[in-house]
Amino acid sequence: MSANFEPNVVAFLCNWCSYAGADLAGTSRVNYPSNIQIIRVMCSGRVNPLYVMNALQQGADGVLVSGCHPGDCHYMEGNYYARRRLGMLKDLMEFVGVDPKRFHMSWVSASEGHKWKEVVEKTVEDAKEAGPFEGFRRRKIEW
Amino acid sequence: MKMDLEQLRKTAAEVVSRDDVRYLVGWKQGTYGYRVAPGFIEDAAGAAELIFSPLCTANLATYLTLAEQLPVPRGEEPDDRKVALMVKGCDSRAVVQLLVEKGIERDDVVVIGCPCPGVIDADLLAEKYPETEDLAEMKWDGEDFLLIHGGEETKIARDELLAEKCRLCRYPNPIISDIMLDQEVETWELAEDEGVQEIEGKDVDERADYWAEQFEKCIRCYSCRNVCPLCYCQDCVLDRLNPTWVNRSVNFSENTAFNIARAFHLAGRCIECGECERVCPANIPLGKLNRKLAREVRDKYGFEAGVDPEAEPFQASFKPDDPEDFIL
Repeated sequence: MSANFEPNVVAFLCNWCSYAGADLAGTSRVNYPSNIQIIRVMCSGRVNPLYVMNALQQGADGVLVSGCHPGDCHYMEGNYYARRRLGMLKDLMEFVGVDPKRFHMSWVSASEGHKWKEVVEKTVEDAKEAGPFEGFRRRKIEW
Repeated sequence: MKMDLEQLRKTAAEVVSRDDVRYLVGWKQGTYGYRVAPGFIEDAAGAAELIFSPLCTANLATYLTLAEQLPVPRGEEPDDRKVALMVKGCDSRAVVQLLVEKGIERDDVVVIGCPCPGVIDADLLAEKYPETEDLAEMKWDGEDFLLIHGGEETKIARDELLAEKCRLCRYPNPIISDIMLDQEVETWELAEDEGVQEIEGKDVDERADYWAEQFEKCIRCYSCRNVCPLCYCQDCVLDRLNPTWVNRSVNFSENTAFNIARAFHLAGRCIECGECERVCPANIPLGKLNRKLAREVRDKYGFEAGVDPEAEPFQASFKPDDPEDFIL
């Protein structure tokens, strides 16, 4: 791993809290690492565990899923389902040998611009530590 | 402990003669060696073919959802008679889980429970006693197995041949049944799940290497999915082309994705019947993935698949106090 490795981190943010939180971080001019690529989804419960796997396959070194705090979900309970599913996914990924540092989940509300910064810093730092993901990345086929 | 075949066949004949039963799914002698085939019995005479022995490893609950649903010709009524099914302890959990998920209706099945003292691992058996063309029989003999082959009777110690799933089995008696064929068997002392513990003892890189070696072998025949009693989606995400979740090409990346997706879709649903591992032509230890997830679900969320027909499906429910120590 080279010292100046810059990881690709894919973040799935829920439309109502975390995306607005990241937006707030932007409008409040909070500095955070630019390694993160945000994909907006309507709810963290909409994040299919296969998204996480696909992201890793297609070039992500880390994945972050962020939603509303429990009890604050716009759709009442979407983030509870997400918590269950992605918690299981994290266990499974760890079991098959994907570094647990590569996958994080967080709750960031629309008013938590500063928490968003901390979450991104932590995620990017962990992805940096874990290094480039070589596991089951999709390789270019050369004939 | 010893299953009375006469009684089994008599009961089966009675069930299959009922007006409200379409056919009965049970085990029958295969065509050679140690093989046992699923038997679809439609009349009382056919019931004479049925057997129940330590060779009956297959989980027949698969056939409940696998049966082809042909369109009903105009002017005819759909055949809504029941299907009778012979189940061991583990198979009955599959039936319960299907009921939980509303994959089948309780009124559509007649469950014939066969308390099971543990079945054998056919690979282990064939290793020690090579399989020949002529048929062999097997029986439970007290604690041990009795192999009857070419007029010779061989007693084999239980520990030698017992399948891995049975070493870890906590439910040898059917959980639901309409008819119970025999006395309940006593549960036995559980072995430690060494396979899973061994992998848990490794660090992340070693685990990655271990699974890389396993998933490299996968030929993507989808047998594990097809045989699974709980993989019954008509439109499976692993088959989808638009969007393509998992590419069809057989390489390490897609194999890993396939295997993770398959295991994940069984999180909180797998009833540990071990069929996926049994049918895998590449001998990938799929059971370890499933058992690991099942154990996490049990330890962390206090949920166990296929035990309570009234339960909510694990992945379609939640508790406000689910563990969230992994959240930043």
